[in-house]
This record gives sequence, structure tokens and C-alpha cells, in this order.
Amino acid sequence: MIPATTFASLNWSLALPEIFLACAAMVLLVFGVTRKADPQREVSWLSVLVLAITAALVLAQGGDKAQAFAGLFVLDGFARFVKLMVLLAAGLGIVMSISYLEHEKLSRFEYPVLILLATLGMMMMVSANDLMSLYLGLELQSLSLYVIAAFARDSERSTEAGLKYFVLGALASGLLLYGASLVYGFAGTTNFAAIADVLTRADAAKPPLGVVFGLVFVAAGLSFKVSAVPFHMWTPDVYEGSPTPVTAFFSVGPKIAAVGLFLRVMAGPFAPMLGQWQQLMVLISIGSMALGAFAAIGQSNIKRLMAYSSIGHMGYALIGLAAGTAEGVHGVLVYMAIYLVMNVGTFACILCMRREGRMVEGIDDLAGLARTDPLMALALAIFMFSMAGIPPLAGFFGKLYVFLAAVKAGMWALAIIGVLASVVGAFYYLRIIKVMYFDADAGAFEPRPAALSAVIAGTGAVTTLFFVWPAPLVVAAQAAAATLFGG
Amino acid sequence: MSGIALALLVGAGGSAAMAFVPARLAAWLGAGLAASLCAFYAAHLGAVSTGAVPAAAFWGVPALDIAGGLRLDGLALLFALLITGIGALVFLYAGSYMAGDARLRRLLVMLGLFMTAMLGAVTADDAILLFIFWELTSLASFFLVGTNHQSPAARKAALQALLVTGGGGLALLAGLVLVAIAAGTTSISGMIAAAPAVLAHPAAEPAMLLVIAGAFAKSAQVPFHFWLPNAMAAPTPVSAYLHSATMVKLGVYLLARFNPLYQGVALWHELLMWAGLATAATGALLALRETDLKRVLAHTTVTGLGTLVMLIGIAPELSATAAVTFLLVHAFYKAALFLVVGIVDHETGSRDGAALGGLGRAMPLTAVAAGLAAFSMAGLPPFVGFVAKELLYEAKLGAGPASDVLIVLGFLINASMVAVAGVLSLRLFLGASRPTPETPHDPHWAMIAGPVLLALLGLAAGSMPALVADLVVEPAVRAILGRPVAVTLKLWHGFNLVLALSAATVLLGVVLFLAWERIVPGLRRAEAIDRFGPARFYERLLAGTISLAERCTGLVQHGHLHGYIATLFAATAIALLGTLAVRGGFDAPAFAFGALDPRALALVAIVVGVLATVLARSVLVAVMAMGLVGFAVSLLFLLFGAPDVAFTQFAVETLLVVILAAALVILPIATRDDRAPRRKLADAAVAILAGAAVTAVLLAVLATPFDPRLGAWFGANSYPAAHGRNVVNVILVDFRALDTLGEIMVLAIAAFAVVALLRRARTGDAR
Repeated sequence: MIPATTFASLNWSLALPEIFLACAAMVLLVFGVTRKADPQREVSWLSVLVLAITAALVLAQGGDKAQAFAGLFVLDGFARFVKLMVLLAAGLGIVMSISYLEHEKLSRFEYPVLILLATLGMMMMVSANDLMSLYLGLELQSLSLYVIAAFARDSERSTEAGLKYFVLGALASGLLLYGASLVYGFAGTTNFAAIADVLTRADAAKPPLGVVFGLVFVAAGLSFKVSAVPFHMWTPDVYEGSPTPVTAFFSVGPKIAAVGLFLRVMAGPFAPMLGQWQQLMVLISIGSMALGAFAAIGQSNIKRLMAYSSIGHMGYALIGLAAGTAEGVHGVLVYMAIYLVMNVGTFACILCMRREGRMVEGIDDLAGLARTDPLMALALAIFMFSMAGIPPLAGFFGKLYVFLAAVKAGMWALAIIGVLASVVGAFYYLRIIKVMYFDADAGAFEPRPAALSAVIAGTGAVTTLFFVWPAPLVVAAQAAAATLFGG
Repeated sequence: MSGIALALLVGAGGSAAMAFVPARLAAWLGAGLAASLCAFYAAHLGAVSTGAVPAAAFWGVPALDIAGGLRLDGLALLFALLITGIGALVFLYAGSYMAGDARLRRLLVMLGLFMTAMLGAVTADDAILLFIFWELTSLASFFLVGTNHQSPAARKAALQALLVTGGGGLALLAGLVLVAIAAGTTSISGMIAAAPAVLAHPAAEPAMLLVIAGAFAKSAQVPFHFWLPNAMAAPTPVSAYLHSATMVKLGVYLLARFNPLYQGVALWHELLMWAGLATAATGALLALRETDLKRVLAHTTVTGLGTLVMLIGIAPELSATAAVTFLLVHAFYKAALFLVVGIVDHETGSRDGAALGGLGRAMPLTAVAAGLAAFSMAGLPPFVGFVAKELLYEAKLGAGPASDVLIVLGFLINASMVAVAGVLSLRLFLGASRPTPETPHDPHWAMIAGPVLLALLGLAAGSMPALVADLVVEPAVRAILGRPVAVTLKLWHGFNLVLALSAATVLLGVVLFLAWERIVPGLRRAEAIDRFGPARFYERLLAGTISLAERCTGLVQHGHLHGYIATLFAATAIALLGTLAVRGGFDAPAFAFGALDPRALALVAIVVGVLATVLARSVLVAVMAMGLVGFAVSLLFLLFGAPDVAFTQFAVETLLVVILAAALVILPIATRDDRAPRRKLADAAVAILAGAAVTAVLLAVLATPFDPRLGAWFGANSYPAAHGRNVVNVILVDFRALDTLGEIMVLAIAAFAVVALLRRARTGDAR
């Protein structure tokens, strides 16, 4: 019989950060609506404050793994770690967009509010412990993002990006939902722990066919959300078409949340089916690394280039998942944290590419930056070297972790392909450095906004000096990964 | 903090400080920094030669099991002395060579960072630490080669050098990680101590090959030798320092460092010996094809590097002594000659060996320095080059079955070195003077100091070989072999086969030198070398990669939503069919076709509807045909006892058709299908594939026993728990009541939004 539900038994305090964020977003929305002049700047900074408070609430939640809302919601070290990354990404995303929105006459307070709502969805995703809450979080995130992608609604490129993202995203959500219903039909439950339980009891070599197909559909849907090959097609178009700060946010926040969800789903309910999904992950990972490396070479638009770069990075992160071990998950978390820092830094630099009152996006526009703005050139060079995985910058360690995990799990081929792909990948990152340092000047950019300079300096310092003191991140990620596999 | 760790920090700090002082001062600062570091390392000579190995903790990531740490054994000390000593002279030289050039300061800072990275690489006792410094030297080389960024050749060469050495670096990393996993430690001395475990690991051989590949790329061994001559686009002080004296020797250093680990492996010796020999021969041959003096020197550097690798490959211990001695000798004379060529280039405006001559009268000091260095290169007594060449022949004679080939080829290689040495000294400075773009004269003392000092060192080392042997060579040889050996260096070995070989070498060298003007154009005509060389392969690979990338992107990333959707379906279908295939097919459910249920005739309507949709010429008709499919499905529901679902489906289908049709009338969408026939076929293929996949999935799922728990539970509980007989209704309004409530709220909110939109549209306020 169904146990009686009381308010206290919901354990709602575990979701306090989410509840606070949801309420704050709605309050800010009402605040914005009641203002006569556009309060984008105020709402943006208030949103950053809200995110900071939410992060503090997440940090304040200690303790072991605990469930809330009758098993729909789970809070563990893994969820906290990923949530903090997502909150950081969202905060930086808003800070980077303020001056851009004013310049481009897109100054509307709905923008930060939508980011807050997307963040809420992402937090829900990483804390999901049930197919229902998974879908709820995923859709809240996706719907907010569809709108943000088309935020510059007078721009043809932006609306096209939003529409493409929406149509393909809805299709992917449909696939995922179809898979979820198959799983529910054959496992008899939507709860992650219960699904794992059913699968553990089933014959390991021949799990129920319906669940296997469900897994394929769910993996396809999630691959779309992390933009892994072959479900990556939307990424370059959406990255190029969306307003640049939106692209910056897309490339980190939703990616991190989706990777978190991917890890949660594969290491949770489907953990007993490791043998079934491991091969799938290997293929997706190889495809993403290869495409990310090769397709980026011919690009002349830096936002498009970053789209391919992000596809490649997802491939590297998925190496850790393919390893199927706690060590692999540890690698993924470290990788994503480092990816977050260097990607935000790179986009902060891209947002500074403004000449004669308008944004420029060509790689050629960076020519001679080493002479017109040596500090920014240095920072961008650091980010590019780091993304190429050149030591001792942070990106090298991210790659090292996942490669080590793969090698220790006996996946030599995967690690070797990863190394080869990063050689090809290094080619296009280095090209940007060559353009900045060796090519003839293309003229100076407009002065950098202070907020962006601060972001560039901060992320640049972390990327460069990570190797001096890697312990905090590494140890925290290790603890987080352990809770995911610990049970 | 221990001294050897502090030295690295001082190096990095000093380099950074150079960025904040005037360029002229920065050169002095750099020279002082390098000289004091050199003195610091030299102070360790005594202790290290008696067997002490200073070590220090440095960096390390315990969470990753990276131990970190530095270690200064004989081999590291030898390299550190060369790096700092030659470094000091190069700083001095560069300050004068590029005086007044706006790029000087950046160049000096980079040189300083490079020097620090080199010191880190040779003193590191941790494989990961070594790799990090290794890559930093590649990066510094990238920026230094690209100093003349106005020249496309320099930009290309910078990228080429970085791609080749950086790519090799990644191979090295892979190899080091494999070795570290096998040894259970990243400490290099730990790896060597765990040699049996490392060699017993299943991946031992690939790991070794990867390490070798990294070293070969860095040290320009065949087939990676092509990047080094191109890197001569760098300013001369950079070429002298990076591409002759230090960075390119890092690969040799690595091989020497790992020799104790692999010295029992036959493949190690074979590979190193033959690749080294091939490299040396290639360099000697190509050196005779060039008249640009810098490129000539670059090719002879390739020869020198090949000789070193070959010597490490030759097993007996004498070859290690030969290797260390030759390393020392080569560093002295080659750096000196590079600097001399730089001076000639600087003062005359030309470095074409065929057009220059008789410079001795105008620049006597330079001529003396060049002569001393060239004699050492030619291996004439009493220079230390002679000692090295004697050892070289001796080592080859003792190389066992391969010694005949080694001797014959070695003889030819050395003879061509003699000829090149003649070109660089006799031809350049003696004879009738020829006109040059600028009037030549001896340079500023800061530039001439380096070559003179280095050439004199070559002479001094030759005249007191015993001291060199004890202080420098023996400790380094001990590190290469991993055991103490007796090292004796002497100038005079008596009359024996080796001396005869030496004499014959010089004779043949003189003949080649005299015929140089005819040999060079002769070899230049052999274009096959250009056509089939690895440089061409690199070009093709690069161009091929780029065009492949562009084609692949064009194919995948066309920007059409239509194609993306097709890809999405195709990929999912392939994943599903692949899963089925991996599981070895499925059991089809059993059908009794004989007793066909008449209700299944509703399926006919579905088929008709689908065909009509596909064949329809206008979108409107297709929408209606799809409606037919929907109605047929509803009919199925109705016939199979789910009237409520059927009615819902009817309602939804009707609405859908009406709304779509209405939208089509208003929206500017092409109502005709104007896809090309090929496009249509491709779409059909994807559709059929996806359909087949879903059909297969359905059949497979139907064949598996259905888990009746859910249905049974709801059936059993709906009346007692919720007092309702219609299970579907009970689920909607009772078991899942909150969901239903939520849906109703969503609909209500949507209605609000619609009202707001409609009101806006009516008032014409479209903000």
C-alpha cells in the first residue's frame, strides 16, 4: 500500500537551494514587470546575487546521500559538485552578458530571469532520481534555452538558431521520453534505484529487451543534450546564430548539467547494464573527438570553431564515462570543471571582439592582437594552449585524468584515438595563436568592459596556475565521484 | 627549498624580470642570470663526479600519484652546464645581434623561459614533470622561430616545428604513462629501478616505441628530420641555442636517460643504431646540397644528432663514452660555427656560401674563431673533436656484426663533415675576397666573445682530456649505463687502425672540399630527394587533412534543418538495429495468420493513408492523408475495447488537421514538394530505415514476456483504494491526481498567455 505522505516526510529541505532559486526567479520576474524603465542591469546583478546565495545554500548542505519527495530527488556529493559548477557557469554567463545586451539593444530583464530558470532546471537534472524528475528538469532547462537562443529576435540568424534548436531539441526530448516509457513498461518503475534493482536481478547477459531499447533511446536523447556525435548537428548553427553571451552560457552550463545527468543515469539506474552502454559510449566518444578535431579546421568564424571545439571536448569527457569506473567519473568531473574555466575565459575574450560599434567574429579579426592588446592576446593564447592540452596548463590535466582512467580500464584504443584527435585539434587552436602573434594587424578592438576583463583575468589565472595547487578541485571531484558509485 | 629547485624558480623569475627592463639591459640581465646559474651547477661538479646525486622535492600531485622531484646526476649536470654556459654567450650575442630591434626584448624573455624549461627537463626525475618541461621548450621554440613574423616562411616553419615536436611530445606522453603504469610510479629513477616489471608489462614494446617516437621527433631523426632546416628561419642566436646546442639534444637526452631501462632490449639497440645511422647519412648528404650556410649547418646538426642516437644504440659501454664526448664536442664547435655564420650574415648581409670568400682580411678575429671550431669539427688533433672521432671509430669497430656497415657509412659521413668544415673556414675566410652587400668588419666584442670562447674550450678540452673524463664524461656515462665504468680519454692512441681511418677520412674530406663547387649543383639536380622526402609527405598530410576537414564539414554541417532531422532519425535507427544485431537478432512473436481477425482490416486504412501522404503532391493533401492514418489508429483503439482513448485520438487528430491546414493557408510555406529526385530517394531511405528499426523493435518487444505487475497492481487496487471501476480514469484522477492537476494548470496558464497575446495583436502593440 502507498505510505501516507506528510509534509515532513517530503524532506523538502534537501531542495532548499532549488526552492529558493525558483522563488527568487519569480520575484525578479515580477520586479521586472512592474518597472517602467528597463531594469536589465539591476535584475542581472540581483540574479548574480541570487545565484551566489543559492551556491552558498548548496555549500551549506552537508551530509550523506539523502532523498526527498518520495525518492524523486536525491542529494549527494556528486549533485552538490555539479550544481556548484552550473551555478558558477550561470553567474559568469550573466556577468558577461550585461554590457553586451546594452550594446546590442537587447537589454531586457527577461534574459537573466530565463537564465535563472534554466539553471533551476539544470539543478533539478543533476539531482534527479527518477525518470519523471529527470524529464521535468530537462524540459525546464530546454524550454528556457530555446527562448534564449532566439533572444535577438530581430536577427534572422538568432531566430533561425532558436527554431532549429527547438525543433531538434523537441525531437530529442521525444526520443528520450519514448525510451523512458519503454523502461517504465518493462522495469515497472521510474525510480532510479528501483530500476537498478530490477536490472541487477535480471540475467546480466540478457537484460529485458524493452529496457535495452529504452536505454538506446534515452542515450540518444541525452547525447543530443551534450551535443555528442551523431546528435551534434545543431551545435555549430546554434552557437553561431545565438547572441554571443548566450553561446558562452550554452557552451558551459547546459553542457555540464547534461553531462552530470548522463553520468547519473548511466552510473545509476543503468549501472547493471554497463556492458550494453559502454560500447555505445565508446562510439559516441570517438565520433565526437574525431568530428570536433576535423570539422573545426576549416572554420573561419570563431563561434563556430568553439562549437566544434565543444563537441570535441564532450568526446574527451565521455572517455571517462566510457571507462565505467569511479576513476572515470572523477576524470569527467575534473575535465568539466577545467573546461568550464577555460571556455568561459575564451568567450569573455570573444565578447571583447568589438570594432566600430559592432561585434566581429572572424578568426582573421584577431590578427595582430599581440601588438594591439598584448594582455588579452596572452590570455587567449593561454586558453587556446590549454584547450589543446599543452602542459602545464589546466587543460592538459583534464585530458590526462580521463586518459589515465581509460588506460586503467583497459581501453587502450580509446585513449590512443583521443591522443591522436588532440594532435589534430591542437592544429586549429594553434592557428588562432599564430594569427594573434604573427599576422599583420587588423586594428585594435574597442576598450574592454571591466566585467569582462575581470572574468578573463580570473579564468586565465586559474588556467595557468592550476598545476600549482590542483588538490582542492581534484579531491572534491574524487569525493563527488565516490558518492555516485558508492550507492 | 633545495638549490636545484631554487635554480628553476630563479630562472623563471629572472626571465619574467627581463620583460620589465629596457632591452639592452635585459640582454645583460639574461647573460648574468645564465652565467650565475652555470656557476651554480659547476659548483656541483666535484660532488657529482664522486658519485653524489643531489635531489630535491619539486611540485607533484599526490592525488594523481605524480611524485614530482628533481635529480642532478652526471647526465643532467652535463646538460645543465651546456644549457647555462652556452645560454650566457647567446644572451650576450643576441643583445648585440638584434640591437635596436623592437622584438629583442620579447626574444630575450622567451630565451630565458626556454632556458629554464630546458633546465627543468634535464633535472626532472618525474616523467610527467619531464614531459611538461619538454612541451614548454617546444612552445618557446614556436614563438622564437616565428620571431620574423612578417615572413610567411618563418610562420610556416614555426608551426611545422611545433606540430612535429608537439605531436612527438604526445607520443612521448602516451609512452611515459604506459611505463608509469607498469612501474607503479612516475619517478624516472623509480621506473629504472622497476625495470623488470616495466619490461614484463604486455604494453612494454609499444610504450618503448612511443618514447622513441617522441625523442626522434624532438631530435630530428629520420623521418622527422625535415623540420630542423626549416626552423633556420629563426634569428641566428636562436638557431645556435635551440636548434643546435640544446633543445634538439633533448631527444638524445631522453634516450640516454631511459637507456638503463631498455639496455637489455634488442629492438631498442637495433632501432636506435640504424635510425641514427640513417639520420647521420641523410644529414651529411643534404648538407652537401646547400649553399645557404645556416642550412648547411642545420643539416650537419642532423648528422650530429643521428650520430649521438646511433652511439646510444650501440651496445658496448665504450659507445656511451663516445656519445658523451661527442655531445660535448658538438655543442662547442657547432654553436661556435652557428654564431660565426650569424656574424658573417650580420656584417656582410649574405650567408650564401657560394658567393662569399676571403673574409679573413676584413674580419680576422672571426676567422680565427671559425678556424678553431672547424678544425674541431673536422676532427683534427689536438682538438677535442679528434678525441671524439677516434672514440667514434673505436665504438663502431666494437659494434659486432654491424660494424662493417657502420664503419663504411661512418667514413663517408665524417669525410663530408671534413669538407663542410673546410667550406666554413678555409673557403669562407681565405683566398681572394669577393664583393658583399655590406663592407665586412669584425663585430662588436659581445658577438665575437661567444665563438672565440667556445672554440678555445674545444682546444682546451682536447689538451687535457683526463680532467674532462673525470669531471664530466664519467659521471654522465655512469648515468647512461646505470653502472660505474672506467673512462679514459686521451689524445694519442698510438698507430693503429683507428688512426689510419682518421687519416683516410681527412684525405677524402679534402678531396670533397676541393670538388665542393661541383658537388653542390650536382646534388641539387637530384630532385627526387625533394619529391619523395618526408617534408613532402608532411605537406600532403597537412593539405589533405584540411581538405578532408572541409569536405567532411560541408557534408555533415550543411545548415539545413531537414537534413539534420534525417540524420537524427538515421542515427537512432542504426543504434536500434545495431543493438539488435549485437544481441544476435530477436524472437519474432508468434502470429496465427490463418485466423485473421477481421478487425485488422482497419490497418488497410493506415497503409492507404501512409501511401497517400508519401505520394501527395501538395503539403495540404499530405496533412489530410496523415489525418486518415490517425483516424484509422483511433478506429483500432475503438475496435479493441478502448473507446475513451479512441475518442481522445479522434479529437486530437481532427484538431491537428484543422490547425495545420489553417496554418498552411496563412504561413508563407511552399505548399509544393520541390525536392530533387536524389534528395527524395535519400529521404525515403532514411524513412524506410527508421520504420524498419521501429518495426523490429516492436516485434522484438512483443516477443518478450510482458511484465504484468503494473496492470495487475492497478487492476487490483483501483476499486478498493480509489472506488473507481474504470482503471484509466482512476489513474488519471486518483493515483496520478497531482499530475493531472499540474496539466490543468499548465493549460490554464497557456490560456492566459494566449489571451495576452491576442489582446496585444488586437491593439497592434507589438513590442
